[in-house]
Amino acid sequence: MDILQYALRRLLAGLPLLLGVTLFSFTLMVYFGPDKTFELLGKNPTAQEIAEVRHQLGYDRPFVLRYGEYLRELATVDFGNSDSTGERVSSLLARTIPVSLALELPGFVLGNLLGIALALLAAYHRGRWPDKLIMGLSVIGMSISFLVVIFVFQIWFCTSHGLDLFPVRGWGTASLADYLRHVTVPTLAMVFVALGYNTRFYRAVIVEEMGRDHVRTARAFGAAPARLFWRDILKNCAIPVITRIVFTIPAIVIGGALLLETSFGIPGVGKAAYEAIISGDQPVLKAVVGLTTALFVIALLVADILYRAVDPRVSLE
Amino acid sequence: MNAAQPGLPAATAPRASLWRTALYKLRRDRAGLLGLAVVVLYLVAAVGAWCGWWAGDWALITGTKWGPVSAQHWFGTNIIGQDIFQRAIYSTGTAFQVGLVVAVLAVGMGAVIGAVGGFFAATWIDEIVLWLMGVLDAIPFYLMVAAIAFALADNPYAMHVAMVSTFWTTTGRLVRGEVIKLRGLEFVEAARAIGVPPVAIIFRHILPNTFHILLVQLTLCFVDAIKAEVVLSFLGLGVKDGMSWGLMISESTLEFLAGHFNNLIVASALLFGLVFAFNMLADALQDALDPKQVA
Amino acid sequence: MNHPTPLLALRDLVVEFDTMAGRVRAVDGVSLDVFPEESLALVGESGCGKTVTALSILRLVPQPPGRIAGGSIRFDGRDLLALPESGMRAVRGRDIAMIFQEPMTALNPVFTVGAQLGDVIRRHQRLSRREARKASLALLEQVGIPEPGRRIDEYPHQLSGGQRQRVMIAMALSCGPRLLVADEPTTALDVTTQAQVLEEIRRLQAEYRMAMILVTHDLGIVAETCTRAVVMYCGQVVEAATTAALFSRPHHPYTVGLLDSIPRLRETRLAELPVIPGRVPDPLQLPAGCRFADRCPRVSAECRVVSPPLVATADGGLVACYHPHP
Repeated sequence: MDILQYALRRLLAGLPLLLGVTLFSFTLMVYFGPDKTFELLGKNPTAQEIAEVRHQLGYDRPFVLRYGEYLRELATVDFGNSDSTGERVSSLLARTIPVSLALELPGFVLGNLLGIALALLAAYHRGRWPDKLIMGLSVIGMSISFLVVIFVFQIWFCTSHGLDLFPVRGWGTASLADYLRHVTVPTLAMVFVALGYNTRFYRAVIVEEMGRDHVRTARAFGAAPARLFWRDILKNCAIPVITRIVFTIPAIVIGGALLLETSFGIPGVGKAAYEAIISGDQPVLKAVVGLTTALFVIALLVADILYRAVDPRVSLE
Repeated sequence: MNAAQPGLPAATAPRASLWRTALYKLRRDRAGLLGLAVVVLYLVAAVGAWCGWWAGDWALITGTKWGPVSAQHWFGTNIIGQDIFQRAIYSTGTAFQVGLVVAVLAVGMGAVIGAVGGFFAATWIDEIVLWLMGVLDAIPFYLMVAAIAFALADNPYAMHVAMVSTFWTTTGRLVRGEVIKLRGLEFVEAARAIGVPPVAIIFRHILPNTFHILLVQLTLCFVDAIKAEVVLSFLGLGVKDGMSWGLMISESTLEFLAGHFNNLIVASALLFGLVFAFNMLADALQDALDPKQVA
Repeated sequence: MNHPTPLLALRDLVVEFDTMAGRVRAVDGVSLDVFPEESLALVGESGCGKTVTALSILRLVPQPPGRIAGGSIRFDGRDLLALPESGMRAVRGRDIAMIFQEPMTALNPVFTVGAQLGDVIRRHQRLSRREARKASLALLEQVGIPEPGRRIDEYPHQLSGGQRQRVMIAMALSCGPRLLVADEPTTALDVTTQAQVLEEIRRLQAEYRMAMILVTHDLGIVAETCTRAVVMYCGQVVEAATTAALFSRPHHPYTVGLLDSIPRLRETRLAELPVIPGRVPDPLQLPAGCRFADRCPRVSAECRVVSPPLVATADGGLVACYHPHP
């Protein structure tokens, strides 16, 4: 079956999900969401003034119409202007998403690569001390709050109470040095927090694969341990690994950066989303939720195509 | 390793022996027992805080600003002179309140919805269950919490509701998978054949057999909930009145520049201790209850 | 025996497993010889230690929880248990090959048949990729796979169970081993395929002049395939004899019981199939004397004190029983 046709079919199959998420989030965030009427009015407004503002904001129109409007905005990727700053939402996204990507990409890649490396090491020495050490440290890492890691790293790396090497807040990509200055501490925090989870996950996957019959077959025919890992095990692990990586992407592009960006004062999409939450900036919220879902549906598709590339048992049907 | 290990005694009466072997394994798991002991210690502190036996003065100004560690203030005082130790102990109560409410409700919800989906697998009911879980998993967590907080008009339980409505899907998926496996077994087929209604089959015959999953999920969910509380409280979306480790940690940000870290250290150390103990307990439970593990 | 020096000699092999409830001896003092070009059956119920014995020959006992705790395994004069792991790897696949019970899972699902075959060939022989592919094609043809040119680029899940087992056999033959260890090679196959695959193994064993250890619980297969048989019970050898002698005149009461429980076509009343009474003892609480005592119709007080040693029988076999059938 043609891969393009398949992709289209999968995207269509993602429609119920897209509708579900938008309906959910629209109902919660917009329909029952913050009411801006009184922010825009002076003191002691008359009933007529109130009605006028509500009409301007579209609050008086029926649910279905307002939801339909949202869907139209989503389809055209045009969400109007931010309620708080008046900036066009599309230009806000175009400004903030690259920042988030630049912020999170190094941490994401390093966190997964280091996780896989440590997991291989642990699995290779299964049951012996390197395994126990790595797994013990993973549980400790998993037990530390992300927030605490951020604060401790900020105090340690960025203030006079510690090394005082990097700025506490801010962002810059003017030069590589500038970028590194701002990205290092957030990246360290991200890797620190993700490493425990990643290592445990990848180790479990690898150990499960190591116990398979075909690995015993390979051993029975003289395969050396290194070869077993690189060839007979790693490719078989691909499906859970792909699932994990692909499905974290929508979350880190939009949601996961929120905490990091707010605490380091980095103008990414997570911070924009947080500010939209606090101020009830509906056009921005609608855009962020819609985009995350769209990314999620695309991730489903990408994962499917990748599964097929690595595992011959998965067919396009 | 496959279940059928050569040379090992075949497991008889799988269900009864699952619990007996689990208990046996748990008793020999020193890390797990230590975790359990620590959790119980925290629970005592929490119950005391609930009942007002101690930490009742957490909100009072009992000392000077940033008072040092002393016999009266074990961990010093905060920026306005409140006792950090009392606040931390009181927060233990909050942590258990959040953790228990969220874990019990989320796991219960996941169990029921997952079981219904699994029992009616490949019908429209299951389609709806899967769709619901997919939708909830696709909404970014923080946005979901914020949305629910708005929708519930700053209700103090908005955070709990938000966590429950996103956390249950993990249990839901696990239980659904297990139920699909169980559904084909003889005792379920027999119950169906003699005309036991689906609801009775699900609750009387199937759900009790997923209890090992639920127990592990309860501990993991508890951990997720108290960790999420910290972040949400920092973001202003969490605990509204009262005190929590998350509020203490966000309070501590005001003190960094002046070089006072007692709030941060005490709150994060207590949080770490509880989460670590729970993680060890969860691991031990998982090992003990894993029917795949023979040795 | 006609062959004075055995190709493979196991002496007092002990394999232990650490289980939750304690240490279990899955193989307890097994000694046996395999002579060049002969086919030896290792027979017993599931859990009697026959598969573990087979796995220990290639040192494939999963470790942990398992462990070869004692004894020696000499292959062609070398003690395999004394070899370093790298030396053992050179033996695996080249001198001794093994085929497994589950053709479904024994092959790697994400590589083609040709890739897996070629891999084994190139591991032990200095061949180019193209030469290895040619050799793989020839092997597939030889083990009776139709359209080998097409099958070589297919994945295991695209083959039938019988074909997969044939691929396993091709892999085993690829380096011309002198000993083939076949662990229940046909158990997972359906009956008609079973017969074909077994026939193939027998033919190739003769053609390649290999010795073979066939692990099975199926006495029918033993009768058809093997020249000699070793019967195991509870981790120990209870009887060893030529197949002809074993079937015509079994000595150990357990062997007698096994043979009696085979349904015979000419039997008039099928309903009255005799079974061996009782159960296999718990490997954690083995009796002091003979392990078969509790189920044995010929048991005496003596049997419960000291385990009977293996002694030679009049017809050249071995039996571990104080009161063997004549």
